[in-house]
Amino acid sequence: MTSLLRISLARLRRRRARALLAAGGIAAAAAMLGAATTVAYSLGTGFDRAADRAGLPDAIAQFDEAPVDDVRPRVLALPNVREVSFRLEDGGVEVFSEGNYTRHAKVQGVREGRRGYAIVAGRDVRARGEVVLERGLEREWGVRLGDTVGLHEFRSDATLRVVGVAVTPDSVAFPLANGPRLYAHYEDVRDFMGERPGAVNIALVWVQNPALLDVTLAQARVASFGIAELRFVTREGIRSLIGQAAGIVIALLVAFSLVAVGAAVVMLAASAAADVQRRLASIGVLRTLGATPRAVAAGYALEAALVALPAGALGLAAGALAVGTPTERLLEALNELGPGIAIAWPLLGCLVGLVAIVAVTAAWPAWRAASRPPVETLAGADVVHVPGRARLGRGTLVSPTLRLGVRLALSRPARTAATIAVLAAAASVVLLILALAALLQRLESDPETVGKRYRLAVTAPAGAAAEIGRLPGVAGAAARYEVAAADSFALGESFTVVGFDGDHTRFEAPPLASGRRLDGEAEVEVGLGLAQALNLSPGATLAVQLPSGREVRYRVSGVVRALENEGRIAYVGAMRLRRAEPFLTPRIAVLLERGATKDSVAAELRAAGFFAEPVGGVTVQNGGFLDVLAALLRSLAGVIGLVCLYVLVQTLALTAQERRRAVAVLQTIGAARSQVAAVLAGSAFLVAAFGALAGIVLERLVVGPAASGLAASYVSLPLLAGARDAAIVTLGLAVLGLLAAAWVARTAVRRPIVAGLRED
Amino acid sequence: MTGDLGANAGRAPVVSAPLVSARGLVKSYGSGRAARRVLDEVDLDVAPGELLAVVGRSGSGKSTLLHLLGGLDRADAGSITVNGVRIESLSQAGLTELRRHQVGFVFQSFHLLPELSGFENVILPGRLAGDGTRAAARARSLIESLELGEAAARLPDTLSGGEQQRLAIARALVNDPALVLADEPTGNLDAESAAIVLGLLRRIAAGPRAVVLVTHDVEATALADRVIELRDGRPA
Ligand SMILES: Nc1ncnc2c1ncn2[C@@H]1O[C@H](COP(=O)(O)OP(=O)(O)O)[C@@H](O)[C@H]1O
Ligand SMILES: [Mg+2]
Repeated sequence: MTSLLRISLARLRRRRARALLAAGGIAAAAAMLGAATTVAYSLGTGFDRAADRAGLPDAIAQFDEAPVDDVRPRVLALPNVREVSFRLEDGGVEVFSEGNYTRHAKVQGVREGRRGYAIVAGRDVRARGEVVLERGLEREWGVRLGDTVGLHEFRSDATLRVVGVAVTPDSVAFPLANGPRLYAHYEDVRDFMGERPGAVNIALVWVQNPALLDVTLAQARVASFGIAELRFVTREGIRSLIGQAAGIVIALLVAFSLVAVGAAVVMLAASAAADVQRRLASIGVLRTLGATPRAVAAGYALEAALVALPAGALGLAAGALAVGTPTERLLEALNELGPGIAIAWPLLGCLVGLVAIVAVTAAWPAWRAASRPPVETLAGADVVHVPGRARLGRGTLVSPTLRLGVRLALSRPARTAATIAVLAAAASVVLLILALAALLQRLESDPETVGKRYRLAVTAPAGAAAEIGRLPGVAGAAARYEVAAADSFALGESFTVVGFDGDHTRFEAPPLASGRRLDGEAEVEVGLGLAQALNLSPGATLAVQLPSGREVRYRVSGVVRALENEGRIAYVGAMRLRRAEPFLTPRIAVLLERGATKDSVAAELRAAGFFAEPVGGVTVQNGGFLDVLAALLRSLAGVIGLVCLYVLVQTLALTAQERRRAVAVLQTIGAARSQVAAVLAGSAFLVAAFGALAGIVLERLVVGPAASGLAASYVSLPLLAGARDAAIVTLGLAVLGLLAAAWVARTAVRRPIVAGLRED
Repeated sequence: MTGDLGANAGRAPVVSAPLVSARGLVKSYGSGRAARRVLDEVDLDVAPGELLAVVGRSGSGKSTLLHLLGGLDRADAGSITVNGVRIESLSQAGLTELRRHQVGFVFQSFHLLPELSGFENVILPGRLAGDGTRAAARARSLIESLELGEAAARLPDTLSGGEQQRLAIARALVNDPALVLADEPTGNLDAESAAIVLGLLRRIAAGPRAVVLVTHDVEATALADRVIELRDGRPA
């Protein structure tokens, strides 16, 4: 083993330039892997980590103010309940600090017992006059510990001193959520609200066995006599709610990681195979001297591992650092916690895997070569394979230097194919990222993507629909009722019920996945997300538990691919919904006539005394969130671009190295540096063109469909790259090819010509 | 047939001044105690139309001399004039121009590009110099006069050594250079092919064009106008 190690080290020292080149490749692959792992691991575990740190309750019950002494015994009497603590929340509070202001703050008075949030700076509230802010507010406003914040509501005012910063993942962070949360002493909040002593309106419940939570909640409903407006949110419900904001993106990033790992493996395998190909002669010599194939392979594995270990470590660290900040910001927006030093474990796993892959990919071709008779290996060394009938680029249109470059590439078909494969994988991921960016934009701004055909909505009584429908530019108007509900049998499964007066498909018609449209008040169309969660299919029964406490049952007529609310949506007729939930206020959905603009119709509505709001796409309200996502995607795309550049440089450098005699001959017969570069550019263009082409095909046929399936199984997302994106990627690869050719040519022509000409 | 080998062939010498003139050429390899002077104050003149044979033991600096004359490498000291151009003061771009238009090289191992057909190899210097059409006509007439019609359509690996070397000579001539530098061009050839190649080089050295031929071949020295021997870094 020591002699093996000595030989490996000696070989590395002698071929320092090549070892460096290989190390660069491994580092680039590792950077991709590190970036992907960091993003996927951080986002994949962010919720659970934050929930665990915060001690997030299994269920949060909200209700109208009630005396804690009345509620506590009832909760504790329920089976399966382990612990409960209470809060008094005041919503819609005005909060201001140093010129910052919001009208939507939620201030919660915390009592003794478990908190359900994690303190990430400073300390918890201990005495009156103190307040803990949610992290989003602290970041957004730049508030420091020790600063004061002012609270105002009706005739109440309060000034509190900031003593800590808290995170809890039960909702997204301010400003993504439009109201920030503040935690203050219970008595301060009670005074501020003017409530009676002991009044609470929130119960945080921890249970013994989360699997039995549904049963516990059902019993809680039975025992809730006298407690008004009881609503539950469960930890699982929160998880899916948070997922609404980021679920698609997280799933796509996981898909990216998989593609990146695949590309990295292809890249490493290609460079290892090329390396062995270059050294066939020395393998033949070793075999002639009596080395076993196993020993030869072990030597290569060891040598590769020696290079891979430092290069992989550096690359992983660089990749993790590159995406670290945007990932952290995304987690903050979701009120989740980054893994911190814990990210080292998955990265370490990646390093071990990477070194193993590199060692195996190096050993495998060496083993195969060493298993052949030594004579063959010796003879096969350094033969330049010329494709017999490769007459590519004949004609005078293409410059002879570019054509020569194409042929140089074709004389190494295996390497060229491997390079094309890597570029194709990278191109397909970049295309996916571009498609995703375009989709995000459309989701935010174009209601059509979520199946909504109406562009404006008016908050007005249902009776106004007829009047609005007669206004110029309006093709139709109907009252739309929306209410949050839960499944009667699984109270943790929450969804949105939408009821239209009349035919909803004129206004809102996500495509049918199965069954048919609803017919009459007894039927419901459910979104695929809800259908999957509750295992519903046409003909099944959906029992809807409404906030009023009443239950309404519907027969499922069809399943629709709705994107809104992650597909957890149910379309029904308005009549029964209004009978069961009489105090719903509708919004009037306003369908525009062909040719009418949003602005002109909004003006008409204003003139008639209605205030119209534009209808957006999915419920991502904040552009800042999309910016954070875009930054993350951009940094990933940047890493991929660098990897492509590296792959091209490596391939061309190998070509220039192997064919330095051809380069010297070219210079001898009068080629200028730019012409040597043009030859290399010919090689680069060949792989870039086929890489881009294969990448486009790969994205359209495999990666795109796979990613959209992964992202949201409840809907078909159009994640296929358009012609413009394809052109951008193709052009980008061509530019990278040109850069790589110029770079490699620069070093290639610096070598003395005579050295290249001398026979070796 | 002779007349097709070059536009210059057969024309009367117009200048009496030497085509190539080298003074005090010094070239060393290695440094410190390992340093070795391969060329030590070499003076050399080559007249237009002359076939000069350079002989000497292996390692005596013959190839090094050719490389310096053709602008493939730079001398440590001394001056070289080729066709009126002082080459030690040329930039990289100037040396490229020199190699394109003034000098043609022929090597022992042919150095044809294996990816290109015979014809494409021959025409390449013309294309690199940017006059493809004229070069094409010239390449065709050279190929015809060297009887390479069939070989020109094939890839070098499928050709005999003699055919490859004749293609290489055609390539060296396609831009009509004033100076052809041949480094042991018969070293890898059988006797018959070698005789053909030597005959060709003899015909090329005519009019304003000169050939410098490095060789071990006794027959080659017999054909030459003049023979110099390198020994200890100097012409003996
Ligand atoms: N690039 C180089 N580095 C070191 N020594 C060299 C180099 N090129 C040539 N030499 C040495 O210079 C001497 C002359 O070489 P060369 O001109 O090729 O001789 P010849 O062609 O007469 O056989 C030889 O000893 C050779 O080893
Ligand atoms: Mg020599």
